[in-house]
Amino acid sequence: MNMFAHELRMNRKSALLWAVALAGVACLFMAMYPTFAEESESFKEVLRSMPEEMLAAFGLQIDAIASLLGFYSYVFLYISLCGAIQAFHLGASMISAETRAKTADFLLTKPVTRGAVLRSKLLSALTILVATNAVYFGVSAAMASFVKRETFSLSAFALINVSLLLTQLIFLMLGFALALLLPRLKTVLPLSLGVVFALFMLSAIGASTGDGKLRYLTPFQYFDRAYIVRHESYEPEFLAAGAAVIAVCALFGAIRYLKRDVHVG
Amino acid sequence: MNVIELNGLTKTYGGARGIADLSFTVEQGEIFGFIGPNGAGKSTTIRTMLGLIHPTSGSAKIFGKDCLRYGPELRREIGYLPSEVFYYDNMKVKDLLNYSASFYNKDSRKRMLALAERMELDLNKKIDDLSLGNKKKVGIVQGLLHEPKLIILDEPTSGLDPLMQQRFFELLEEENKKGATILFSSHILSEVQRLCDRVAIIKEGRLIALEKISDLKGRTYKKFKLQMKAGSDATPFAIPGVTEWKTAPNGEVSFLYQGDINDILRRIASLELLNLWVEEPDLEEIFMHYYVSREGAGV
Repeated sequence: MNMFAHELRMNRKSALLWAVALAGVACLFMAMYPTFAEESESFKEVLRSMPEEMLAAFGLQIDAIASLLGFYSYVFLYISLCGAIQAFHLGASMISAETRAKTADFLLTKPVTRGAVLRSKLLSALTILVATNAVYFGVSAAMASFVKRETFSLSAFALINVSLLLTQLIFLMLGFALALLLPRLKTVLPLSLGVVFALFMLSAIGASTGDGKLRYLTPFQYFDRAYIVRHESYEPEFLAAGAAVIAVCALFGAIRYLKRDVHVG
Repeated sequence: MNVIELNGLTKTYGGARGIADLSFTVEQGEIFGFIGPNGAGKSTTIRTMLGLIHPTSGSAKIFGKDCLRYGPELRREIGYLPSEVFYYDNMKVKDLLNYSASFYNKDSRKRMLALAERMELDLNKKIDDLSLGNKKKVGIVQGLLHEPKLIILDEPTSGLDPLMQQRFFELLEEENKKGATILFSSHILSEVQRLCDRVAIIKEGRLIALEKISDLKGRTYKKFKLQMKAGSDATPFAIPGVTEWKTAPNGEVSFLYQGDINDILRRIASLELLNLWVEEPDLEEIFMHYYVSREGAGV
């Protein structure tokens, strides 16, 4: 319990900042919706003049874009990008904190098992992500009902929002596993940005070429918002893919963390 | 009772050597010196005992229990001061010490204050703002806070000024009187000489000597320095037991001698001398002797 509290305390500032930033970005986008919806016809004209691959890469669907959910689905692409960075960074930095700041000699010589250290870290990361999502959910839902022009499906909206948490869980574990794959990791941010943007680009390429197999390679494609709006559910095979990624990362990371030698410097 | 028991402890990193077939025991109530040059494997040995490193083969036992299997339980009774102290920078000293104390089921608030006062440590400062010496003090308080039965010190005095070093040694002696066993690793030999009962000398990952400090200093070696009338003639001293042969331009020669004192005195008596000194060598010289002689033997 003391380690859990300690991890929360170490990460509370960045967690707060991320929650505010995510909610802020959502508010900013949604504030644009009323103007956008009014001018939607002329905007659609502009979009139609663009190549289809490009629209697909950005996740733009011309027919749906004027509706609140369609618009939200589009802007959510960037929300999930930010969320992924937060989660990956959190996972990687939390697990490498002791080796980066050389505090392993402090923490791992205490009368605790490494398993207990690991559990506390993951549990506090999970707590931070859930809290971030709770803030985000509340703010975005309030904003949506404020800017809406007609009623929209609350359950589809909720499913889209929950996909943020699920995407973040996947990226959290990716960050966790990757930080343990690189034993001498010194700075986490470049790694986080690099990996997340690479997967984001892969997602854009996959979407524009319409390659079905490519979708499995990037977690950004696991929760297709057009599908969610249409069916009010997730795609089971991609839920399974996400769970598999989490399980593999957790297993690999845990084995590495429990077995590795801890050196100075 | 043996507090520490190393049995053929070996750790290799890929092809590189860490420690090889290291065996020795430390008894309860001892202050045990662990000496060697940098990179000899002292830290590797200590980190294995603490469960930070997994040995390639052999075993380390503390209080009769295997370090890996009973790690968490054993570490309850161990206080550890690493050679370089690193803590969470954005924490206050007080918070860090409280966090440390929270791992042991003991109320150590009074002791924290007492130790901090002895070491003149400001509890309200941020770790980030502390000098190296002050960080070391945090390490000392942190390591002794839970009144461990085994205190492991890895080059503990770096960064401490002489006064603080003195207080720290007094603290250690008090803990030792209360029954704590101490493993003191160092490459500064004079401090070991002062505190320790026995000493293990390690070089290139291997134990090269294990002796009582009193034996090491008293019986075993003498340091001879003599000034001859007719220049320095080394031939009478080409006998086993003479090492560290040095000649100075003014005709002075000095060497270490291990063996029958009468032999060497007879040889000295045959020479015309201006002056003669016979001294107890300090550990440094003995240590250099170990170092050089094994090097010379091509080991």
